[in-house]
Amino acid sequence: MPNISVKINGIITSVREGVTILDACGTAGVDIPTLCYHPDLSLAGNCRMCLVEVEGWRTLAIACVTPVTPNMAVLTHSKKVRHARRTVLKLLLASHNANCSECERNKNCELQELAEKHNITNNEYQTSPKPESIEEVSPGIMRDNSRCILCTRCVRTCEELQSVAVIKPVGRSSSVTISTFMDRSLNDVPCTQCGQCVIRCPTGALFETSEIRPVWEAIENPDKFVVFQTAPAVRVGLAEALGLPIDRSTGQMVAAIRGLGVDRVLDTDFTADLTIIEEGHELISRLKGALVDNDESVALPMMTSCSPGWIKFIEHKYPELLPNVSTCKSPQQMFGALAKTYLAGKEVIDPASIVSVSVMPCTAKKFEKERPEMRDSGYKDVDYVLTTRELARMIDEAGIDFEKIEEEKFDRWMGDSTGAGVIFGATGGVMEAALRTAYEIVSGHEIPFDGLNVEPVRGMEGIKEAAITMPEKMATGFEFLAGVTLKVAVAHGLANAKILMDKVRAGEADYHFIEIMACPGGCLGGGGQPIPTSPEIRQKRTESIYAEDAALHFRKSHANPEIQLLYAEFLKEPLGQKSHELLHTHYIKRD
Amino acid sequence: MSEKKILIAAEQPIAGSALKKSLGMTSADVVFEVRESEIRGRGGAGFPTGIKWNLAGAASGSNKMVICNADEGEPGTFKDRYLIENYSLKLLEGMTIAGYAIGSSHGIIYLRAEYPYLIPVIEKAREDLIRENLLGENILGKDFNFDIEIRPGAGAYVCGEETSLIESLEGKRGVPRNKPPYPVNSGYLFRPTVVNNVETFAAVPHIILNGAEWFQDLGIGDCTGTKLFSISGDIENPGVYEMPMGSSIGELLEAAGAQDVQAVQVGGASGATITADELDRSLSFSDLPPGGSVIVFNSSRDMIDVLENFIEFFVHESCGQCTTCREGNVRLQDAVRLIRNGEISSMEELEPFFQLAEVMKIGSKCGLGQTSPNCFIDIVTKFIDLPAGKGGV
Amino acid sequence: MNRNPREIVSDAVARFGSGREAVIQILTEINRELSYIPEEAIVAVAGAIGVSNAEIYSVISFYSFFSTEPRGRNIIRLCTTISCQMNGSGEILKTIEAELGIKAGDTTPDGRITLETTSCIGLCDQAPAMMVNDTPHTRLTPDETRRIIAGLE
Repeated sequence: MPNISVKINGIITSVREGVTILDACGTAGVDIPTLCYHPDLSLAGNCRMCLVEVEGWRTLAIACVTPVTPNMAVLTHSKKVRHARRTVLKLLLASHNANCSECERNKNCELQELAEKHNITNNEYQTSPKPESIEEVSPGIMRDNSRCILCTRCVRTCEELQSVAVIKPVGRSSSVTISTFMDRSLNDVPCTQCGQCVIRCPTGALFETSEIRPVWEAIENPDKFVVFQTAPAVRVGLAEALGLPIDRSTGQMVAAIRGLGVDRVLDTDFTADLTIIEEGHELISRLKGALVDNDESVALPMMTSCSPGWIKFIEHKYPELLPNVSTCKSPQQMFGALAKTYLAGKEVIDPASIVSVSVMPCTAKKFEKERPEMRDSGYKDVDYVLTTRELARMIDEAGIDFEKIEEEKFDRWMGDSTGAGVIFGATGGVMEAALRTAYEIVSGHEIPFDGLNVEPVRGMEGIKEAAITMPEKMATGFEFLAGVTLKVAVAHGLANAKILMDKVRAGEADYHFIEIMACPGGCLGGGGQPIPTSPEIRQKRTESIYAEDAALHFRKSHANPEIQLLYAEFLKEPLGQKSHELLHTHYIKRD
Repeated sequence: MSEKKILIAAEQPIAGSALKKSLGMTSADVVFEVRESEIRGRGGAGFPTGIKWNLAGAASGSNKMVICNADEGEPGTFKDRYLIENYSLKLLEGMTIAGYAIGSSHGIIYLRAEYPYLIPVIEKAREDLIRENLLGENILGKDFNFDIEIRPGAGAYVCGEETSLIESLEGKRGVPRNKPPYPVNSGYLFRPTVVNNVETFAAVPHIILNGAEWFQDLGIGDCTGTKLFSISGDIENPGVYEMPMGSSIGELLEAAGAQDVQAVQVGGASGATITADELDRSLSFSDLPPGGSVIVFNSSRDMIDVLENFIEFFVHESCGQCTTCREGNVRLQDAVRLIRNGEISSMEELEPFFQLAEVMKIGSKCGLGQTSPNCFIDIVTKFIDLPAGKGGV
Repeated sequence: MNRNPREIVSDAVARFGSGREAVIQILTEINRELSYIPEEAIVAVAGAIGVSNAEIYSVISFYSFFSTEPRGRNIIRLCTTISCQMNGSGEILKTIEAELGIKAGDTTPDGRITLETTSCIGLCDQAPAMMVNDTPHTRLTPDETRRIIAGLE
């Protein structure tokens, strides 16, 4: 498209033909307020916040959807525009339950911010009472439609990014609500609990089901031994959640959690490494079954099982493919099962007194920990799950100055991490970590990628593919893989997962191994991460993840010394009896 | 000037005569004739039909569509029902000519859910035309196929807006689309689509048979053609009247027998409310909205009741998608309640609501929200006595 | 005897196709035959079209002719928009409510009749007017209305 001239507030600007007025204003450095617009989603043009005046037009134009045309003259703060914006804001506020101080999104709310920016102090349109709170609870996500402004970002997220489509506008006119099939709870429809809607909600209509209170109570109870685990993506989101620039902050995070009064601060990265060992062996064993034993009951491609939103998705939508899912529990649940067995033994603590808390970039993890099969330790393996945002709130409440705090290290036994564990936080990371380990197990050599960086599975493309040919000379016992080309695929965002699963179901995919993460960008873009999200934000978090990987001494899961100790002293061998008892699971078909 | 019956004349041209003439012309000449007639959309918005056809004809894309908007839902409008009941052959012929003109072989009539009893009427007309080879395959022996299906609405006023109508035809909620793209380029199932009102299509055979100039001369002044009006309310002879476009509202009322007129609602709930002093105003695209609905109120009527009824209608019928319409109509309804209660007693207190009405007019996504405040502005300023002085300006 | 909702859906799909654009026609068939659209039918339509249950539910909820709540064998839709209101639709409403012992929006306990008020039905020249199922009734008087109701099965 050629460049054209448009006039924005009297100043001639050159922009690409066909871009929207909103983009053109962005180029010109003019800020346009928006609410229903989101860079990850299709254009709705519903909220009417971005109205601007175009010379010669009878009506105002919606900046987010209207394309610029040559010599278009746009006014962004004329009297008409200013009136319209203030009116739209007042209309939204009049039917919005503005209980700001009680709201999860207080001071991180786009509506509040715009109201403040436009100096809305009185509201002539408050002609009937505001709606009352109507909270609806599911394990990971809560809704309060009295705060909803009907921007439909959540609806578009659920459909376009996740192909789940369980929330929709229901009703007409002023009785429209965002609701579900037969107005059921999110718990009773095929919601994956991924929380992508939560991180795109401009207000507090959607938020995580908070577990801050019981976690404080456990910390404050002297009879409880509180063990925290922190997921890979939390360390690249926490600073952001505390209002600081996006950066990795592992040491500060450990120190801050310890500062809350927690007994042990441990790392989910440790069980990420463990997942790689177990899942890598599972893959090799499946490949052997298929390639050597010609066992037709072996399901390939094998699919990862770390992402609980993805697991719930496949249980609902593709139950016939459940045999393809790795039986490995997610790192969170492996950690939980070991905390109340292995760790209890090491620390000589009664497992009944252990309160196992995980900090996750995820809302679906709150659902996962409630699954009835997640009690292999003899107790509930994980007691509470906090999102990155909830941890930030606790740190804030405790008055810990995150910027000034001295870095500290994780506690021992389950606190060692490798770069391979860290990159679980980014799309493609599990695949890369698995390849680093599996290739070396079967060939006896490091994977032949510069700096161990398996670039083909990195990046933000929705579906990534790679093929790695094994050398002719293999380690003893793995000769059957000599010269075999291993085909892998990686998808993030459930809409992309759906594309892959449709291919697999139709028999059109010849992959051996597939990594799926429910959330766009992987866990770093998870539903429990800081709000807002955008492609740029996820890109920055990704860079932090790979920087952390590069900075770590150990880059491969099997090199983790504590993992080696765990196998030597407790598990004995991958896929062994203890592993099966504690680290593997099964799935169920859901309607 | 009095009634001038063309569309609803007792004697109608033989079915197919206009189609036959059209098929003897190039499609470009058919579009040209319609364009020259300067007929503007009879649904109310008044977009020039010839230009619409020209754009759709020139648009790239296959499977072009001709859609008839038979979703008349504007309160007080029933002219399309009357046309279908009595002249559906002309409607189908007009659609077929449109199909020939733009290069389409598929027509759809989107019939409002409230008119199920018209389905057999249209079906019969369709069968009659097929029997005479005026519809279907190789029409009149030419290399031209065109057929028409009837699709029911399901009860939503907003589906009279053409992009909502298309959404509804696609099996979705009938909410307006963002424009561009316009339906002529990307409409039903992304195909180039012409959407016209029943009356527009019904006028086309007459234009083709008698020529653009004849049609132009039917109107008064700049206006072309005749126009159907549905009159109801406090009137002796409610019904459908055909008048030259540009006739005065007074002439129409005289024809229908109005007495003791206090107010007239022209163009339906979304139109204009005028006083007895304004009866010389003209029904035309440059003055009073000539969409077709005319409702008469005599002096016994309390206009705030009327306003309340209209606003309630819009609060019920807004699609709920855009903020200004969804929330705005509710707040206007609140304002009417406050006027009734005496909680608003001066024009000053009403000022924010007039401002709201202005924002709705220029800031809503579709015609519904852009026109729904009209009745509020008109009735409050012209007819409501506020304790702190007459509202009238 | 009413047919099974799934049977109605599969017949309607056979007739109108399983494309997205057939949804309103399919729903209209169900709604007409059963007076409402039960949950089972929504699930069947969603499955046939290949969209989520929520999507079909959302569509249904938009249109005033559709209902997901059971309704009577006969549906009365009394117009209450302006011309009908001016010509006495209020009195007709009272008459029907008294006659049936229900309020607008309700269904008689025997499942015979559901009474609804509706926006303009395009019979303003013959006001007050109502639709009973697919049939229009115009220039209503209280007596005439009672007679119409008495004639409903």
